[in-house]
Amino acid sequence: MNKLYIIMLCLLVPMIHSCSDPDITDDVLDGNVIFDPSLYNPEQYLVSAKYPNPDANDLSKHIILVIHGYSATTFEWEEFKSWSTDSSYRISQVLLDGHGRDYASFKASTWQDWSAAIKREYEKLISQGYTKISIAGSSTGGTLILELLSSGYFNSRLHPKNLFLVDPIVVPSAKTQTIAAIVGPMLVYSESDLKGDENKFWYRFRPVETINELNSLMKLVRKSLEDGISVPTDIYFKVFHSKHDPVASTTSTVLIYKGLDRSEVQLMDSDIHVFTRLSLRTNVTALQRKNQQDAFSQIAAKLK
Amino acid sequence: MKSIIGMSFQGIIRFMILSFVMLFSGTGYTQSIDAGLRIQKTQGMYWENGLSIQYQFANFKPERFLLGFDYITSRLGTAYNSNAIKQDNFLVSGSWLFNKTKAYHIAPRLNVGYFYSDLEFEIFDEVPNTSFLLSPELGIRYHFKELPIKLNLGSGYYILTAKEGYSPGTLQPLYFHFDICYTLLKNKSNE
Repeated sequence: MNKLYIIMLCLLVPMIHSCSDPDITDDVLDGNVIFDPSLYNPEQYLVSAKYPNPDANDLSKHIILVIHGYSATTFEWEEFKSWSTDSSYRISQVLLDGHGRDYASFKASTWQDWSAAIKREYEKLISQGYTKISIAGSSTGGTLILELLSSGYFNSRLHPKNLFLVDPIVVPSAKTQTIAAIVGPMLVYSESDLKGDENKFWYRFRPVETINELNSLMKLVRKSLEDGISVPTDIYFKVFHSKHDPVASTTSTVLIYKGLDRSEVQLMDSDIHVFTRLSLRTNVTALQRKNQQDAFSQIAAKLK
Repeated sequence: MKSIIGMSFQGIIRFMILSFVMLFSGTGYTQSIDAGLRIQKTQGMYWENGLSIQYQFANFKPERFLLGFDYITSRLGTAYNSNAIKQDNFLVSGSWLFNKTKAYHIAPRLNVGYFYSDLEFEIFDEVPNTSFLLSPELGIRYHFKELPIKLNLGSGYYILTAKEGYSPGTLQPLYFHFDICYTLLKNKSNE
């Protein structure tokens, strides 16, 4: 009887602990103090906001929308912006809706909200007269691009010149993610193991509602890939993926390669997720730096 | 096709059939053999269907213990006529039947086995595509008194210990399956 009591206590304590929203402090993005800077200064991040009335010279530029992943912010592509010196293209850093704000905003958001920010900027650029637009997405950013492609979003609009995916997630590496819908009511949220300043650029706490949204998006995209997705012939499509991605299983890229009628794939000798983001990581190796430069160079070369 | 544990996919199928024949030939030790279809859905992943064979031995807990062999594959499920990944699960299981006097039995089961996914293209040769399988399972088994048919409903959880990023992505832990089996052989002398 005593043993049973102890076992029940061991099960109940963590359950009760995790059945309420997390205690959020103001030194993390989830709180009410730190926000993504693109919300205060959109003109520093969005090309459409920086050049509201583009002239002929502006319109001759190639614009690339860079899309971050689940729970991240514009910071995820900041290094590409710093790295880029070529004046022939401009970078528009999109902040997904529900992201870069606070826990409640994130919790209330759907994957359709995440996607809405991409559509807004893409359509604004087209309405301003740009004709050369490309999109790059990391992690869930890549999954959202696949959804736009499979849903026919680009069919009635200007086609993007290039689509680049970095460590896209169609299948998770974390084996417990697929059971979130079942254990969700007990789980409420999951806490990531962000270090130091990473807490200012990624949500530390991921509400189960958003994990379910991500799972729904992946399921939808996976189904589309199973049925086959056609890539318009004027779009160049390339996927970069770490060989041992601890978040987005590399099997995601196998599914993309099989599911698209044409695409290029490059596997990187890497075991980190979103290998193009090295800032704030500890012990960055020369190989990781080389992988990042390789991807950046290839993306930039297509933006002439 | 890429070889796994030194055997081709066809080799493993041949090995399983040979094992079946060897066991089948030892009917003197067999209380009953049930064989049938297994329909399986993995939570958040594929439909995978296949075959299930369950043995009861005459001289070892004949009404209690079941030795099972299962082969399930997405080739007969989600991957049939689609771009889903073709993957195979080879399982050996031991089940223990409670409520032996009743038509239905609570049936906990322990599975061990091997998982293989065919990634098809050379560029993915270094992507993890195989795994050892171990899963505890809980099920309920029903046998019709007047018919040689047994039904089994079960749910299991693969214990996957590989580091994240080093295990096949389409191998997910929680699964549910339904089996419908026909009694191929029943040794009445041992009843």
